[in-house]
Amino acid sequence: MKRLYITLILFLLLILEGVALEILPNKWLIGSFLIVPHWVLVWLIIIALFYDKQETHHAVVFAAIFGFLIDTVYTGILGVYMFTYAVTIYLIHGVSRFLQVNFFSTMLFVILGVAIVDISIESIYYVMGIIQISWQDYVVHRLFPTIVANLLFLFSLSIGDEANKKME
Amino acid sequence: MQFLRKKRLFILLIGVILFVTLIGFSLKDRKELSLPERFINDTVGWVQSVIHKPIKYVADFFYNIDDMRNTYDENQILKEKLAEYKSLIYEAQELKKDNDELQKIIDKTDSIRDYNPIQATVIARSPERWIDQVTINKGKKNGVKPNMAVITAEGMIGKIQSTSDFTSTVQLLTGFDQFNRISATIPREDAKDTFGLIEEYDKKTHSLLFRIIEESDKELKKGDMVFSSGLGGVFPSGLPIGTVKDVIPDQYSLTKTALVEPAANMYEMNHVIVVARTLPNPDEDTSGEDKK
Repeated sequence: MKRLYITLILFLLLILEGVALEILPNKWLIGSFLIVPHWVLVWLIIIALFYDKQETHHAVVFAAIFGFLIDTVYTGILGVYMFTYAVTIYLIHGVSRFLQVNFFSTMLFVILGVAIVDISIESIYYVMGIIQISWQDYVVHRLFPTIVANLLFLFSLSIGDEANKKME
Repeated sequence: MQFLRKKRLFILLIGVILFVTLIGFSLKDRKELSLPERFINDTVGWVQSVIHKPIKYVADFFYNIDDMRNTYDENQILKEKLAEYKSLIYEAQELKKDNDELQKIIDKTDSIRDYNPIQATVIARSPERWIDQVTINKGKKNGVKPNMAVITAEGMIGKIQSTSDFTSTVQLLTGFDQFNRISATIPREDAKDTFGLIEEYDKKTHSLLFRIIEESDKELKKGDMVFSSGLGGVFPSGLPIGTVKDVIPDQYSLTKTALVEPAANMYEMNHVIVVARTLPNPDEDTSGEDKK
């Protein structure tokens, strides 16, 4: 039952990623900062930290499946998100046993995860010749805003969680 | 433990092989999406269009409040414009009638200017910002085919990249590279038109590069409108693309390149029109506009 909820939420986030950019005020999109929502990834990290046990790798499987979905629906270049998401979640799941799981370690893992994913996607696209942009520009205009935006998403999730606990 | 490590290595290797194969597969010049891709796109697209509507409704409410402040000024300007248009409409009707009659005389019924419009709504935009693509809610079943031009009321915004049965993806002008050229023209009164190719979108200057092949006798000015010429064989002619922002000579100063600012706003579009050219394309196999 829990697995069904996880899948549904992942699917919803996948769809919201696309719809959100279409609805946000266009002043935010035209500006020099490129913000990329990696909400599916943030949720996957949470699954890897809180749902997976040490021996199980459900999050990695989810990461591969939903990475593939993002590839087909939003980019048309198959394999890029699938591979980077799966590897990153696997690494985070491996490292997480050395740290106590609490809010701050989750924050750290989200920062790390988003950074690893975004930099690897950037490098793959760079090698494939889809983008030509200098690394300084990339770090200033895309990497930092993206990390901050996804942290905000994590905060809003945790606020929702707090509210939920209070209700109970 | 030994066994476990081997298994892990094995999975990683298979993953890498799968990754490289998939990338190779998707970078290949494909005419059509594979069946699973079409299925996924349609399923996700359907849910997107369901979710899109209520969210859009709420978002529009806030935009409307913002718009209300400028309403009075805009109304004044529009009233003035409307008076001008009345005489223009009359003139255009007369010209159209004349044109039809003249074309009938020379037995010419089809023109590269004609097209069938397919109305569509934008339901999603790719979160991967390097890839400028949006999803629309019309697909193969509605007659949308790859490489058709997509326009809004202001001008061209891109072309159809791939189609599923009920949704299709649009590659925006801002994502055009050297493989998606548009043959374009700057029409002139009492002089030869300027012809050339829109080659790619330059992200630094935020404009399309219009390489001029045949120059007009009259100098290019800032603010000249650029239209599609229809000579590329896929798009109809007369679709507005943008306005000239600046003209620069190329490296060897043999040809000139105009920087063209797209006429349509790529970030503010809900309703788009897919343009299906009535006149058939002489060679249907070409996958890009001018890719031979």
